[in-house]
Parts: sequence; structure tokens; C-alpha cells
Amino acid sequence: MKIDYRGDADHHDGTSDATPGGYETERRPGELAFALFLLVASLYLLWEAYGIAGFEALSSAGAVPMATTAAMAVSALIIVLRTARLPKVSTESLARDILPFKVILFGGLLVCFGLLLVPLGFLPTAALFLVLAIKYLSGRGWGFTLAVSLGSLLLIWVVFRIVFTVLMPAGIVPEAELLQFFRNLGTGGGAQ
Amino acid sequence: MDTLLALLTVFTQPQLFLLVGLGTFLGVYIGAIPGLSVTMAVSILISFTFSWDVYPAISLMVGIYMGGVYGGSRTAILLNIPGAPSAIATAMDGYPMAQRGEAGEAIGVTTVMSFFGGLVGIAVLALAAPFVAEFALTFQPRDYMLLAVLGILLVGSLSAGSLLKGIFAGALGIAIGAVGRDPLTFAERFTFDFQIMEGGISFIAVMIGMFGISEALLQLHHVGAEAMRQKIDRIVPSWSTVRKYLPLSLQTSSIGVIIGALPGTGGDIAALMAYDHAKRVTKKPTRPFGTGAMEGLVAPETANNAAVGGAFVPMMTLGIPGDAVTAIMIGALFIHGLNPGPMLMVDQPQMFWFIVGALLTANVFILICGLTGIKLFTKIVEMPRAVLIPLIMLLSVVGAYAVNNSVTDVYWMLGFGVFGYFMRHYGYPLGPVILGVILSRLLDDNWRRAIISEREDLGAFSAGIFGSPLSLTLLLVVVAIFVSQTPVYAMLKSRISKRAADQA
Repeated sequence: MKIDYRGDADHHDGTSDATPGGYETERRPGELAFALFLLVASLYLLWEAYGIAGFEALSSAGAVPMATTAAMAVSALIIVLRTARLPKVSTESLARDILPFKVILFGGLLVCFGLLLVPLGFLPTAALFLVLAIKYLSGRGWGFTLAVSLGSLLLIWVVFRIVFTVLMPAGIVPEAELLQFFRNLGTGGGAQ
Repeated sequence: MDTLLALLTVFTQPQLFLLVGLGTFLGVYIGAIPGLSVTMAVSILISFTFSWDVYPAISLMVGIYMGGVYGGSRTAILLNIPGAPSAIATAMDGYPMAQRGEAGEAIGVTTVMSFFGGLVGIAVLALAAPFVAEFALTFQPRDYMLLAVLGILLVGSLSAGSLLKGIFAGALGIAIGAVGRDPLTFAERFTFDFQIMEGGISFIAVMIGMFGISEALLQLHHVGAEAMRQKIDRIVPSWSTVRKYLPLSLQTSSIGVIIGALPGTGGDIAALMAYDHAKRVTKKPTRPFGTGAMEGLVAPETANNAAVGGAFVPMMTLGIPGDAVTAIMIGALFIHGLNPGPMLMVDQPQMFWFIVGALLTANVFILICGLTGIKLFTKIVEMPRAVLIPLIMLLSVVGAYAVNNSVTDVYWMLGFGVFGYFMRHYGYPLGPVILGVILSRLLDDNWRRAIISEREDLGAFSAGIFGSPLSLTLLLVVVAIFVSQTPVYAMLKSRISKRAADQA
């Protein structure tokens, strides 16, 4: 392994953090399209940055945005040119190595999570998400799935709601009343 | 006396002491579980500790940071999978040792050496930071601007193969940081006339997306990977073993602190350089390097933990982060209303000494967590990814929502998560993006301050740079990084190496 280029032979199997992937001498499926997308987006942002204050003054609100988007556009252009010259990786395909069904499915699940979070509330949405996700990924029976997902949800809820006092959307679950009920139980109902 | 009291804050308040301990414990495991990273954990935790007081929040995060840097070595040794970039060099000799059945010994030595390196780093931080801060008070706005550019460029060039992709990522980060109304002129920047974008993009949403969701999506590729089992027995190393490697570890710790203190370079570079150093100075390694040499384990592990103390020097004194994790730590300080930089050291020295105390405590906890609980450790590391991945996703959503109680932040987080997923696949480093977001404001403010003080005269601005040795040095380094990526440099390099070959 070259020290200054960590490569992606194992698709980041566990090497987390910002370790970049990609290959040095080959182009992965979709890499050129991504580079082109970045180029177009950078040019649009450059135009947008120019619109902030134009070339009015070196100290204007638009000066740094214009400089950075120009840097983005120039580097994106060179990246496109360099990427286009590289040969394609012969062993990989977009559908298998970059965007397999699993990834698209989870992208969709997460968007649904975001959509349902406020109207339905945190607890039901999270329970639904965990049950579906763990059932699909583990391929184990309903007993395992329900026990693990609801158990860990309960743990997370207790830790974050009570220790970190994070407020999540209550939605259809009367969370506050529930908590109060348990508090009353704890004090033997003496609080009333 | 005040200094001493501030340093001992952690010890006098049992709650803080326990939080550092808990953080370190969690950090060790988070660093060790493949698929969980310290950057991910700290970014998600920022949002959860948001409502806490600043001391407990910092205690927990310092513990996780310190523990995580060490924890990455575990999987590097056992599975040949560095849990964090700073453990890449550890795998080179650590894994061969595990293959020979010496995993226990390797972990034991790693733990003690990490502790030692961490100690050296913290000592240097405590001694050097006040002086650096004093020196930093003389910095001109242009120096800060150059330092910010340098930091982003260094992270981009050193953490990845392609500097160009690093530059792109860093510039993107600065642009993301500029979104919203400009604080000086109230001009709208990159808001596309959407009202929700006027307040800017929450950098926590960016962080959690890039380091939480994108990692979780990538891990989906490996959901079926079997968890490995390793038999580990004796791990407490003998005193003679420790003593034998003490001289080397002192050298590599020094390398670690210095590399860590340079803006833009963190534990990963420090570890690789220390490994290289050990290779050069060790005449008779226990075994050849790369096949399980103890020296090859001692060097990177002391260096990467020493780099933690080093990385806190520019972070606390200049407000310039050394790598992605310190960038996130700066974000955490921001959230709690602190502004890292020379003024923090002047206005709130007790905060600095408190952090030094917390680091020290975390370092001791590393020793404790590292040498005990091996049985529990093997159980936790075997946690199936089918459960782990949905949980990371859930925590990311909760974290993104919790800071502003806003669903918009959740969508930003998801958007950056998907974007980061593609960036990872195609070799764009994520570290510079976060550095860019964090440093955007500093860079923008200082550029404008510098150019306004020169009455918008670019000539006077450059004259100022060339007239000050500090600014000139910074500029030259920035230029050197650019030149190193052009064909000119490659030509020069090949010519020099050819000449060297001819002479030989």
C-alpha cells in the first residue's frame, strides 16, 4: 500500500473517518459524471457569488465567496479533465459497487423518517424505521428483530430523553403524560 | 494558584471526573468498533450535549477524543482494519503480531505507549500553549487568513492522494460556511432567495451528515461481513519491555507533538512519520519491520497520542484546527459560546487549564480501560452491523434534529450524507470540508479586516506580507503546497532522483 494514497481496495471496510476512496490510476463507475456535476454546480455557485456584490470592492461580502467558488470551479475543471483521461475500472459496476439497491432503499427510508418525524412523532417513526431496517439487514426472525429494535429504542429514548434531555417531536404519543405517570409511580403517587 | 485550581477542576468534581472516564471508555470502544468513528461520535454528541453546561460537555468530548485515538489501534492490530486514520501505521506491524498469536502483548504495549505519548503531548501543550498564545496576539489579520488557508490546504494535501480534490473539498466547505446573511453587510449569500437559508446551514448538520450518515451508507456494503474472533490472553506488559522502548518512544512522542501542532496535520501523519523514523533509527528491530516488529508498534502509537496534545496547541491558541476531529472540537466550543483563539487564553485561562486537566484524566483512563475489560471488548466489537447501521442512522437523525429542533436540519444532514457518500466513493476527502465550514468565518473576517486596513489597496497588502517574516513564511508554505502539485515539481523531483541515481 502506498502510504500517501490509501486507495479503496476494500471499499473502506471499517476504515472510517475521512479516509477517501477512489483509485489512483482508474476511474470508478459514475466518477466522471460526479466530477461533471461538481463542475456545473461550482460554475453556478460562482455565478451566484458574483451576484452578491460583483466586483464592487475587495472587502465586499462577495469577495471570499467568489474566490472560493472560483477555486472550486478551477479544481473541478482539472479534476474532470484528469478523470476523463483515466481508464474505467473493469471489475466494478454502478449498480453493484456504487449504488446497490440496499443504499437506495436506505436513502428512501431515511427520507421517510424525516417526513414522518414531526406528524407521527419520534417514538413510532423510530420504531418503524428500526424494525424495518433491522429485519431487512439481518434477515432474522420477527422475535429477534422486535426484541433488538424495540429494546435499543427504549435504551436510546431513556438515555437521550432523560440524561441528555433532548426533546424530540412527540407526535401521536403522549410522551410528557407518560413520563409524568412514571414519575408519579416512582413517588408512590404522593406527588398528587 | 488559580492555574493549579483550574487544572484540578476535573478531580475536585466527581461528576466531571466520571464523565471524562465514561467518555474515554466510550471512545475506546467507538474507536475500536469498525464502522464507528471518533469524528462521527463527537459530531453526534455535540448536538446531544448542547443543553449541558460547558464543563460536563467538554469533559465527555475530551474523553471520547482521547479514547478514540487509542481505540483505533485495537482493530488495526486484531483485524488489520485501522479504526481511525491515526492507526493506519499501527496495522503494519500490529496485525502481523496478532497473526503470530501475540495480540495480547501487542495491545498491552500499545496501551502503555499510548499513555506515555499522550502524557508527553499534554505536557508540551501545558508548557507551550501560553507562549504561543502570547505570540499569537501579535498576529495580523492577514496572518490568520493565511493560517486558515494553510490549514485547509494541508488537510487536503496530506490526508488524501489528490490535492486537487482536497482543494475542492476545502473551498466547498468555505462556501457552505458562507451561506446565509453576511454578518457585516447583511447581504444574502448563496440563499437562492429561500428564507430558511438566511440563517445559514447548521455546521452540525453538515458534520453529522458527512461523518455519520455517509459512513453508515458505506457500511451497508459490508453488512454481511463476519465479525472476527480473536483469542486474547495476557495483556499487561512487563516493566522490562516498557523500559526497553522508552528511548524510542521519547523520540517518536516528540515527532508526534510537533506534527500534531502544525496546523492541518494530525495524528495520522504523525504516526506515519514516526513509523518511518523508527525504521531509520532502529538498527536491530525485534523482527524485520512489517512482520511484527515491536518498534513498528511503539512508534506510531506514541506519536498519534502525543499528537492529541500537539493538535490542541493551534486549536486553543489560534482557533485553527489540526484535523477533522479538532475542527469538530472547535465547533463544540463555539456551540458553548467559547471562541478558541489567543483571546480565550487571556480572558478565560481557567478554561484552558480545565481542558488540560481533562486530557490528563482521559489519558489515565486509557491505561485503565486499555488493560482491563478484554472479555467485554471482544463481545462489543462483535456487534452485528445489521443492528449497528440502523442505530447510527437513528442517532444521526436525532442529533441533527436536537440542536435547533428543526426538521430542516435533518434534511440538510441527509443531503450532505448522500453527497458525502459519493465523495467517499470517488476519493474526495471529507476533512477539508469540515475545516472549511469551521474556518469560513475566520477566513472571511480576517481577509476583510486585512484589506480594509490597507484601504483596499492590494499593493499595500502584498507589501505588508513581504514586510513581515511571519506572513512571508506562511505565504511561502502555501505556495510550496501548490507548486508540489504542478508538473514543474514532478519534473524537478525526477531530475533530482535521476541525478542521485547517476551518482550512485
